[in-house]
Amino acid sequence: MFRLTIEKSLNHLINANNIDLNHIDNKIVSFRVDEIDLTLFFLCLNSRIFVIDNQQNKKVDVSVTLTKSSFVAIFNGASLEELVENDEIEINGSVNTAQQLANLLSSSSIDIEELISQYAGDIVAHQIGRAFRQIKKASVGNNDSIINTIKDEINTVLIAPSRSKIFKGRA
Amino acid sequence: MAKTTHFGYKEVDVEKKQGLVKGVFDSVAGKYDLMNDVMSMGTHRLWKNYTIASSNVKEGDHVLDIAGGTGDLAIKFRKKVGPEGKVILSDINDSMLLEGRKNLLNHGVIDVDFVQANAESLPFEDNSFDCVSIAFGLRNVTHKDAALKQMHRVLKKGGTLLILEFSKVENKTLEKIYDLYSFNLIPKFGEFFANDEDSYQYLAESIRKHPNQETLKNMVLDAGFEFCEYHNLTGGIVALHKAIKA
Repeated sequence: MFRLTIEKSLNHLINANNIDLNHIDNKIVSFRVDEIDLTLFFLCLNSRIFVIDNQQNKKVDVSVTLTKSSFVAIFNGASLEELVENDEIEINGSVNTAQQLANLLSSSSIDIEELISQYAGDIVAHQIGRAFRQIKKASVGNNDSIINTIKDEINTVLIAPSRSKIFKGRA
Repeated sequence: MAKTTHFGYKEVDVEKKQGLVKGVFDSVAGKYDLMNDVMSMGTHRLWKNYTIASSNVKEGDHVLDIAGGTGDLAIKFRKKVGPEGKVILSDINDSMLLEGRKNLLNHGVIDVDFVQANAESLPFEDNSFDCVSIAFGLRNVTHKDAALKQMHRVLKKGGTLLILEFSKVENKTLEKIYDLYSFNLIPKFGEFFANDEDSYQYLAESIRKHPNQETLKNMVLDAGFEFCEYHNLTGGIVALHKAIKA
């Protein structure tokens, strides 16, 4: 839904203002925000933008790695060159191409902070669900009640978090 | 090439499947929309709305809706493409096309073209559409690979393929409930509302024989599409595959 919302907003902007996309045609630009584990791939084809997940690992023309605050700043019209100078983002590929896309993002009516909060909320919900499954699995494995397993896990989290089953496999 | 294929859970001669599927849709055409509402409790409308929202279709686009049936998607596409755009509703089955024509007229939509065509050999030029859709139709196509290649052929570069189809339920509990519902209640609904239990038994069986999400995604990529991703709807009861020709 996150990607679909951005895709629809961008294309609405492009169509309503008859924006020429020739300069970024057939290019893939990626934006990577590590803090919230978000990667967006923008593909421009047939006079429209597709926001894809690029599971097929097609070659990216420009990749932009940035912090959450700089990602939000782009939507608020910040210049990429300034963000680069301040070491807030890293760009591999044409800065000009990335800026063309950034201009589109900043001209759109996307409420990116609201979208990110929903996206981050999804991640939290996913992690809570995963933690609960871990606890349920552990209680079945130990022939113990879920309540006792939760109590044990809380003790472990408070005393030695790295041993907790909830955080197993995560940094 | 294999001499037999599945028709629901039955193995039938390849050349017979098309006629058998035609028989099913000849039988259900008159009650198709009513049955969709009953079986899905109206949810099919939400799935179709999501498909339209994902289509990336804009004014002036040319859209082909394959196996378009009673025209739910065609009506919505028609509004999106505007007067400069073009929408073609195609279906292999003349009974469904007639129902589609009636339904569109009832909605005041007159500028949609109707073409009776087999998805495996589409009678359209290469690179002629911005979007091709097929909703709850691919399951019934005998040679799905051939149909997907045809869809790729008729799409322009940057064109979008949308496949809305029943798929594999993700959650085991939901799967059990869904199995109970579709094998026990849906055929009974078919008997009660459409006086046709067998066609709806076929529906339940054909869903189970259809490729799962990942398999279908790989089939789409094999047909020549550069990008393909899918979105599970209602826990995977239905999946929307969206592919782009680059």
